[in-house]
Amino acid sequence: MGTVYVTQIDAFIGKIDERLTVKAEQKTILDIPLIKIEGIVVLGRATISPAVVNELLDRHICLTFLTQSGRYLGRLEPEVTKNIFVRKAQWQAVGESQPAIHLVRGFVRGKLKNYRHSLLRTQREHPDIDLNNNITRLENAIAPIEKTNNIDSLRGLEGAGSAAYFGCFQQLIKTSEFQFEARRRRPPTDPVNALLSFGYSLLRHDVQSALNIVGFDPYLGYLHVERYGRPSLALDLMEEFRPLIVDAVVLSLINKRSLTLTDFTTEPLSGAVSLTKEGLHTFLRAYEQKKQSNFKHPVMGNKCTYQEAFEIQARLLSKYLMNEIEKYPPLILK
Amino acid sequence: MYIVVSYDIPEDKRRTKIHSILKSYGQWMQLSVFECDITSTQYAKLRSRLSKLIKPDTDSVRFYFLCGCCQRKVERIGGEQPRDETIFFAESPST
Repeated sequence: MGTVYVTQIDAFIGKIDERLTVKAEQKTILDIPLIKIEGIVVLGRATISPAVVNELLDRHICLTFLTQSGRYLGRLEPEVTKNIFVRKAQWQAVGESQPAIHLVRGFVRGKLKNYRHSLLRTQREHPDIDLNNNITRLENAIAPIEKTNNIDSLRGLEGAGSAAYFGCFQQLIKTSEFQFEARRRRPPTDPVNALLSFGYSLLRHDVQSALNIVGFDPYLGYLHVERYGRPSLALDLMEEFRPLIVDAVVLSLINKRSLTLTDFTTEPLSGAVSLTKEGLHTFLRAYEQKKQSNFKHPVMGNKCTYQEAFEIQARLLSKYLMNEIEKYPPLILK
Repeated sequence: MYIVVSYDIPEDKRRTKIHSILKSYGQWMQLSVFECDITSTQYAKLRSRLSKLIKPDTDSVRFYFLCGCCQRKVERIGGEQPRDETIFFAESPST
């Protein structure tokens, strides 16, 4: 099962028999059985035939629209599952409730601990770099998490921890070609930020699909407050995966010099930086490979891929909310 | 399961139809040979679609099942290679 990325501008997405076909300038550029597809991501403009829309909804294949530079626009989604009990438990935990505080603690702890491991690993592998200061700051943010009982303070700890991590992100980059000063979004104005933002958009597509499969309403979150059109729960569950998947892919591509400055273009007015066609392919392929790579799940104890881990974490989330397990264990990898 | 499908259909129109159905389930490897990596449900559906279409007195379709260990022993010299199914790019090669 794979993801289809439509990167051709003004492509036509149609269907023949039980296959997805993509055409551009009267030529078929892709012809793949629908049974092999689990998600479609359209970058830029595309026309989609009504027959395909029906077929995708019917087969529960998610279709996500991103702009050419990778900003999230929206998605076509099959009906939410009929499992009302999961959504009821989700709604009951809203606000400053005990389960909500527990979950936010889990999300923040997961993210910061993964940040910490990634810094510790760099420190071990490159003794010449001094990250002690930032690691201490991160640990100072992690330590009070268990004792903190209100969500706003937890948000503060998350902010402090992230600041400590991104404060030394530059030192994780091993080539002089790329510079990282601070996290910049909307639009990202340097290559590293552009890659991070693009990666987070893709990650969101995957996490939200997993939440949908399990039966959640992705728009009601605990760490992220509700805002019109913002999938807060997807953003919540994304936190622990950010360093594990996106940051890891971005750093490995840059440090192995798979991407160079020639893979980026800058828009003259806004200063927005985006990937060229070749760069985009390199990035998407690396992201997809990462998602399909195996690791041992620390809680379940068996081998799984990151792709499966999205759903495992979503299921653990639902089990916690439905009182089937005592604690929500965020995915923390050493 | 991994299935090798081969067929002999004398009539062009019907052969094209069979070819098109098989393309929805697997990969075209040689003139009348497909390889399909599908679930048993998908196989049942494919089989029923094909059996409805063919004329049993003139046409024939064969399904050969490869077990996991035999699948790894397939040797290929030249021609089509199995496609990578983790990621698909839709893009015209010219631009």
